[in-house]
Amino acid sequence: MDDITRAIQETAKNLLLNKEVDLVVGFARGSLPLRNTPCFVRQPDDVQKLIWGYGCENNLANYLRKRPEKIAVIAKGCDTRSIVELIKENQIDRNKLVIIGVPCQGMIDRKKITRLLAGRELLEGEVKDGQVILKGREFREIIPLNQLLYDTCLNCQHPNPVLSDILIGEPVPVKENICFTDVEEFEAKTPAEKWAYFQEELSRCIRCYACRQACPMCYCEECFADCSMPQWLSKSSLNTQDNIFFQAVRVLHLAGRCVDCGACDRACPMGINLRTLTRKMVKDVQELFGYTAGIRLDQKPPLAAPVSTIN
Amino acid sequence: MKNPYLPLPMRLVKNFIETEDNLIHTFTLEFLREEDEKSFQYLPGQFAEVSVFGTGEAPFGIASSPTEPGHLKFSVAKVGVVTTTLHQLPEGTILGVRGPLGNNYPLEEFKGKNLVVIGGGFAFTTLRSLITYILHPEHRGDYGELTVIYGARNPGLLLYKEELAEWEKRSDINLVCTIDRPVEGWNGRVGFVPTVTKEVAPSANNAYAVICGPPVMIKFTMPVLEELGFPPERIIMSLENRMKCGIGMCGRCNVGNKYVCKDGPVFTRAQLNQLPNEY
Amino acid sequence: MLILNQDQLANWLNQLTDTYKVFAPVKDGDHYTFKEISSGNQVTLNYTNTKVPPKEVLFPRSEKLFCYRQENEGIQLEEKIDESKKVIFGLRPCDAKGFLLLDNVFNNDKYQDPYYLNRRKNTILVGLGCNQPATTCFCTSLGGGPFASEGLDILLVDIGNRYVVEVVTEKGQELLSGLNLPAAEPEAQEAARKVKEEAALSTSINLDGLKAKLDVIFYDPIWDLIHEKCLGCAACTYSCPTCHCFDIVDEAEGKEGCRIRNWDACMFPLFTLHGSGHNPRPTGKERFRQRVMHKFKYFVDNFNAVACVGCGRCIINCPVNLDIREVLAEIQGLEVRSDKQ
Repeated sequence: MDDITRAIQETAKNLLLNKEVDLVVGFARGSLPLRNTPCFVRQPDDVQKLIWGYGCENNLANYLRKRPEKIAVIAKGCDTRSIVELIKENQIDRNKLVIIGVPCQGMIDRKKITRLLAGRELLEGEVKDGQVILKGREFREIIPLNQLLYDTCLNCQHPNPVLSDILIGEPVPVKENICFTDVEEFEAKTPAEKWAYFQEELSRCIRCYACRQACPMCYCEECFADCSMPQWLSKSSLNTQDNIFFQAVRVLHLAGRCVDCGACDRACPMGINLRTLTRKMVKDVQELFGYTAGIRLDQKPPLAAPVSTIN
Repeated sequence: MKNPYLPLPMRLVKNFIETEDNLIHTFTLEFLREEDEKSFQYLPGQFAEVSVFGTGEAPFGIASSPTEPGHLKFSVAKVGVVTTTLHQLPEGTILGVRGPLGNNYPLEEFKGKNLVVIGGGFAFTTLRSLITYILHPEHRGDYGELTVIYGARNPGLLLYKEELAEWEKRSDINLVCTIDRPVEGWNGRVGFVPTVTKEVAPSANNAYAVICGPPVMIKFTMPVLEELGFPPERIIMSLENRMKCGIGMCGRCNVGNKYVCKDGPVFTRAQLNQLPNEY
Repeated sequence: MLILNQDQLANWLNQLTDTYKVFAPVKDGDHYTFKEISSGNQVTLNYTNTKVPPKEVLFPRSEKLFCYRQENEGIQLEEKIDESKKVIFGLRPCDAKGFLLLDNVFNNDKYQDPYYLNRRKNTILVGLGCNQPATTCFCTSLGGGPFASEGLDILLVDIGNRYVVEVVTEKGQELLSGLNLPAAEPEAQEAARKVKEEAALSTSINLDGLKAKLDVIFYDPIWDLIHEKCLGCAACTYSCPTCHCFDIVDEAEGKEGCRIRNWDACMFPLFTLHGSGHNPRPTGKERFRQRVMHKFKYFVDNFNAVACVGCGRCIINCPVNLDIREVLAEIQGLEVRSDKQ
């Protein structure tokens, strides 16, 4: 990890010194244990802030849309797939973007740590040799890293950047099977069970729209949820039915565009499981159109092209 | 505890198309209950939140004057959900009104002074209230000279044409209407409000200026007023901002540490100079 | 000071539920939230703080202001004022302080909000001091403290398997009547004193001169970049004990409907959008500046109090780890000329 950090800093510094870019978007050390935070570097001397680690969980493609300046971005596999789709949608000018790709070994899920610690506060965290050392006031636990990674990361088919100008670090081995077991298990439930599940999950929604704001593909100037003429749904977060409606429609708007990066799920302050719907959408798009979002620049998004379904 | 969120019921008695592009209507509303009318004591400059039940509520400056008892008048531009619905309502519809809200033009301070009232476009609503109030026989003697400069893009977009015609005939008000570009049939002034203000050159001596209009008009008229010698304490403005509660609690309409709904909408230029330019 | 044994707690809560709606911390998935309880056994007091503050007990996320029915001769309005008696049990001193700050908003120099104020009047606050503040807690920087009783009617101090009960107000006294709690003996009092002494905060913000800086830096370029990673969601707003922005909408079906108020946030792009299309706060920069200015300057201008209680929830809940402590430190680092802009 330290090698990668150093390489990122070097690369960023050179790009800025040579004026190849005006801005480098990456991650800096966060203010909470095992958290990193998006960081915007414009001065060559500030590259010291840039860091790589298991807390680089945000999708930085979210900060790249419609920017006038030349930018370099430190991008993991999922980030680059979002970038590919955004390029297709004319939100990013490929010629003004330098992609510093970093093959990703996965990011740590803060929720899993919270669950594990059961009320105890995490004071310090460190990843070493595939283990996560969690320290608190009166405890020290060592957990295998893969028990704490995000489910998205455990399932990830594209840890290596699909598009990059500079690649930092060794490619990461890819898991063999496309795994939709979680979706299939959910599909097998009865409608009543499914509805009960969504009611339970979405009753916690406070309509903070963190999911929408964290998603690189959600960039409508007026989201349907905010539209008042006509008003599509209630603005009350106590209306669970409309909370479900909001998520369902949001996911439908992402058909063929969502890369399953999990940014929405990670952003939710209430810990709602948003990926059941998104992954079902990803699975459906694969089955119906034979399309996976964000893999190839030359592949037209299925809903932008004449439809032909694959039987 | 009085509930400031409860509207009083009022009947829409007139839905009048005010401008020739049909974008502004003037609504005349009457109270259903006498006690409501008695409790609704207002002064020029204040506004009310008008409810279209089932659609929503929106704030409008009160265009009528308290010297015109028995009804309230609002002039409304069609821009969104509530206003579009409002425009289509038949006479007889029951609406709700919350108010009066906000502060009023500083009528006490105006006493004995000359007044220069400058309005642009459809920002003239509360100015109608102010002028009607001042012209009323009970009040006219309290105030000095009254000069009114009112500009619109074209004659069809001037509000309150009937009132303007009446005021033109009077000798106790100097009314100057102007339009942006020459139009056949218009015999009045042609020119933007800032230019006309410069031409009319009202004296700042013992005078207050009241100015309401779109941002671009304010931007170019303000220097003219300053040049004429109006100090910021004697330039009065009425601000607009997106509002919901109208009572300073929902946090939406603040400019700096002031709420436009509760601490305004009437401010002096001097007060606004203390606030951030975020409106 | 009185003593309450751990095993008496559930019974007391059960008793309270007979007369009051009792809101207490319960385990909710991976977190803790204030929920209305029906039994003392649902409660867990072994928590640092809840995901979102109990402000929604007095200021719900969504509430009906009134309902209406259109009739031939007019309109029938029915006010929806909640007069039920409540107890918020086990809240932290920072959250109690939050209510004191909200009181300024809903009872301002010109108007009173009957919805919030009625609930407030009918609610008793039983607080629980923090033996172990989190590393994100900075209440002391704002004049609060892990055992501050300001705003509480009763303060409980956990000394092991017992609580020392500090009665703060008459309302609190009344709540305890009938329980006949014994007085806390010297050992218990000593234990309480020790627990208070040992509760240490490990983080802080520096308010010295902050307001004076904010008075003059509205147009400073610091705002251009300080907000850059902010997503413009409302995670911080809805987690905050002192945020109070709301929206008012009508929801109708046919001739009947209700006027409802819902939480809203100044962080949202459309919050200040005029019907004409003009937006005084068109980008994240203006909106983020508004958030900081409102909490640390405008609220001080109007009420002589900072609209922050140091609970740290915004830090924990922010999806991009935008940390208010870092923001304030950066502002404090500004060299400011003494002349105004």
